[in-house]
Amino acid sequence: MPGIPSDSASLIPFSLEGSSQPTPIYPLQHGLRSPLRRIHISWSCGNLLHVTCLGSPPEHDEEMVGENDEIGGKAVEVTLGGAILEGNIGEDKRRRIAYESVKSFAFLHDKKISLAKMETGDNLSAPALTYWGQYTLEYSKSIRELLGIARLPRSLIEAPKTFLKEGEQPFGTKAAWELMEIFYVDMQMLSWLPERLVDWLEEYDSLLSKTESTVHAELENLQRKLTSLQVIENEPDYWNGLAATLAVGWLDMVVKLLRLHGSYDPDQFDKRETENGLVEAVVLLVSEMPRMRPDLPNRKLGICYQTKHDYIKGLEKWRGKVSGLEASPFWVHCSHHKTRDGLINLLHILLGDAKHIADATCHWLELFISHLLYIRPLTNGLEGMSNLAEKCMHLKPSANNGLTGLLVGILSENPEIVLADCLKAFGPWIVAHAVDLLTANSEYTDELLNEERYQLGGASIGELYMLVYTQALASHPLTWQVAPAYLSTCLNQGRGLLEILLLKQPVQNYRTVLKTLEICHLYELANISTHIMKMAGMYQWKHGHKGLGIYWFQQSRDKTRLSQIAHKLFDNISKSFSDDSFKQWEGLMELLGSDVGIAGGLEFLHKYRDFKKSLQQVGHGRTTEAGKKSTELLVQLMRNPSTPQRFWLPLLHDSVKLLEWTSGPLLGVSETNLLLGKLQELSMAKSRPDFYGGELTANALAAVRLALAKNLGRAILEES
Amino acid sequence: MEAQQQRVVAALEKDAACCGWNFCGQRLAVGSFDGTVSVYDSHDSSSAAASSPSHKWKVHTNGISNVVWLPPEAGDAIACVCVDGTFSIWEEVGEDNQTIVWRRCFLLESTSCGILDVKFRVFSESMKMITAYSDGHVKIFELVDALDLDKWQLQSDFQNMVDPVSRFGNYDCFSASIAWKQWEAQLQRAPASFVLGFNSDSPQLNSSKIWEFDEAHHRWIMVGELALPEEKGDGVNAVAWAPNIGRPYEIIAVASCKGIAIWHVGLNPGPDGRLSTKKVALLSGHDGEVWQLDWDMSGMTLASTGDDGMVRLWQCNLNGVWHEQAALDCGTVQT
Repeated sequence: MPGIPSDSASLIPFSLEGSSQPTPIYPLQHGLRSPLRRIHISWSCGNLLHVTCLGSPPEHDEEMVGENDEIGGKAVEVTLGGAILEGNIGEDKRRRIAYESVKSFAFLHDKKISLAKMETGDNLSAPALTYWGQYTLEYSKSIRELLGIARLPRSLIEAPKTFLKEGEQPFGTKAAWELMEIFYVDMQMLSWLPERLVDWLEEYDSLLSKTESTVHAELENLQRKLTSLQVIENEPDYWNGLAATLAVGWLDMVVKLLRLHGSYDPDQFDKRETENGLVEAVVLLVSEMPRMRPDLPNRKLGICYQTKHDYIKGLEKWRGKVSGLEASPFWVHCSHHKTRDGLINLLHILLGDAKHIADATCHWLELFISHLLYIRPLTNGLEGMSNLAEKCMHLKPSANNGLTGLLVGILSENPEIVLADCLKAFGPWIVAHAVDLLTANSEYTDELLNEERYQLGGASIGELYMLVYTQALASHPLTWQVAPAYLSTCLNQGRGLLEILLLKQPVQNYRTVLKTLEICHLYELANISTHIMKMAGMYQWKHGHKGLGIYWFQQSRDKTRLSQIAHKLFDNISKSFSDDSFKQWEGLMELLGSDVGIAGGLEFLHKYRDFKKSLQQVGHGRTTEAGKKSTELLVQLMRNPSTPQRFWLPLLHDSVKLLEWTSGPLLGVSETNLLLGKLQELSMAKSRPDFYGGELTANALAAVRLALAKNLGRAILEES
Repeated sequence: MEAQQQRVVAALEKDAACCGWNFCGQRLAVGSFDGTVSVYDSHDSSSAAASSPSHKWKVHTNGISNVVWLPPEAGDAIACVCVDGTFSIWEEVGEDNQTIVWRRCFLLESTSCGILDVKFRVFSESMKMITAYSDGHVKIFELVDALDLDKWQLQSDFQNMVDPVSRFGNYDCFSASIAWKQWEAQLQRAPASFVLGFNSDSPQLNSSKIWEFDEAHHRWIMVGELALPEEKGDGVNAVAWAPNIGRPYEIIAVASCKGIAIWHVGLNPGPDGRLSTKKVALLSGHDGEVWQLDWDMSGMTLASTGDDGMVRLWQCNLNGVWHEQAALDCGTVQT
């Protein structure tokens, strides 16, 4: 499974542009001395490529031979395409997400099938589309939950000077997922888009850039400084941090920071009541800021408005209060200049002053969200947002990473770019799961991503990304079993890839074979399971596990191989008639049953076995009753047309002691004549080129003839 | 995203001359200059690199030039081609006391012309083996008994030429590359097909041709040629037939001195008995000769290697344009 992430290009992105980028070249870490003699490549399962480097032929000058010369080559397994998921998470979490997300995915697709079954036409009706939208939202939420819960403060009793949340580090894939949920799935929340982006940024601001400054990074610096600061309001970083925090709308943090202001300190010598009153007035205004959203999570500040009308009314009233405070005469009584300037700066931000907002924010995306919050709170069209984003990027140029690139793709309404960027930045898992988000509420995107394309071999873009994800899953023995659920949704190429994936699984281990067969059964791939059973049968048969081999051949109804085994059995028994060799094959006869092989062949062997057993009893007990029973079996076998001719002489030779039974003839005249007839036939057949005489010699033939003559003579006497 | 992750899975003993991975990618057979074969097992990703082979035995007094695994339907078996032209098939068997040994089950003594390439494929009822010889002959053998690799029957012997008149000449071939049509046919009883190209002194022999088995007349017929008129004489270094997981066309890669050509080939022959063929890309990137081509299991990514010491990975983008997606630099190669 997957490796360490970096921002280098992925090997399997199936980009739109392709060749415009320079080809990334990675060194192969084989550690062999140059020059190499040969490089051999071989694909394994999924994205695993075996590269075997063979070194130069050995030096014959012994003095030149170093330690590394003992190695003739190295085989290196290269996992291409990297991790299934963007990687600042552990291997176990990645695997857990892969295992658990399949449930939500399969559930959603089951619902899709059920909905489609209820519809008469090709397309879903309006009510069905509504249901589909709801199912997709539930799916999105379940995946979001799986990716991790939002960061919460560690304890309700927070440290007095701690204003930044602590907890699990945010996870890029989750941030990307939420962004797509906001824009593509949660349609009811579209009216509160700016507010949703504020919440999103609060959670994931730290992921915007690793190298450039962000509000989160500024606050982290401030947090570190706080413990050593005596007079916090004298520190410019305090006021900068406050302005930045307010600009991006993290109001609870603003209030907490304001209340760290020295004027709240009860043990002070100066009279700072007015100063404290002004700070608290700003706190009050911040706390009462109108928010265009249905509700606010616990401990979040602001006053919610659900209708545009109420919101505008509330906003006007609130802005009036902010302007009033800005023009208040109390500022002249505030002797602490930094406090006065800092607070007035905050009021400018609250009033939506573009310059102050631009100064306060660090990254273009922060500036973009600030604009949405304070200047254009009623924006909800993607076109308007896209123009705004462009303007912000121009004002604050910063390198786009996976998340910001994704937002740009979303705003430019290009689902192909969105998926391609997601694949590059976050790996194939998110793309495979996000196709349903993108298509949930857009007929256009649905058509675009599910349209069959000739240049993709008849697959759609959606299907292609699914195949890419399953290839990544197939690259590891612990995740390949998850792949079939996804492949089953790929109508054009899923089945083909699933068949190959199943056939690629090793067949040495019984349990692994059972697991593979279970998947074949689940997806109704009877021909593949037959094939796997044949392979498992061959492996076991060749490795000395004859019984298990026959078992798999029987399971696969492999008449060809079973028949060949029966032939072998036949040949071996007919070549060697010793009791020991017979015992060796007896178990196989039992396993094969009697209905396998050449017409009536094994049925004969079963009767032959019974005859041999009865002969043994004759040998031990020598009772006439046992002798008679053996004689009956002998006659039955000789009368049976399916008894091969090559067995006639051995049968008769085995029966000499029956023919020479001392207490009286066991065979009647007619039965003896039958056996003599067979012997005559054998004598004639000897001249034919295809005659197989086995190991018995002419002496055996003479001995049988004599015994038969003796028996006939005694039988005639007895019957006359 | 990290583009690749590497792990050494086996350190090979000295004298390694050639190698081949089995179908599951868990076993590596290595042929040596001293005529021994070693098998290395690499069972899972957590295990350490195999530093010694699980089995090693002497195949021949001469060095080994090629090792090829048979399909898993034959159990665990390999075919070895020696530098003197001797060809043998070895299988892993469990003896009565459960010790595992490799036994030779088939041998073709050395002849004046060596085997340049050998490939196996399983069909619903049988297994076929194609061998390409240095005199330009192609021999196709069929396994007589599915349980025994001892008996192979020669089914056909022909040369890789369009014009039957010029067949059976004496040619000198330096290399040959064979690729069976995979998967789909295996499971759906479609006619057996393969593509074959030579690098020889004969222009007629060289170009890659697709051969299909005509069940009705029990003979192999040529159904397509993968070369533009002006390229027909170019020697072919490697061919690879992509697994078809559901495309309405086949994809075949052919490497020659001009680069790697990607061909789209129709699924069914037209009225003239020929498959439609279209060269959709010519990939240049290897600085020198291309040694080997291999498609991944989905047929979406092609890997190639050559004497520039690079492993190059090729993909088709969403607009149908083929390009080099990435490369692995293995270092300098002896020339």
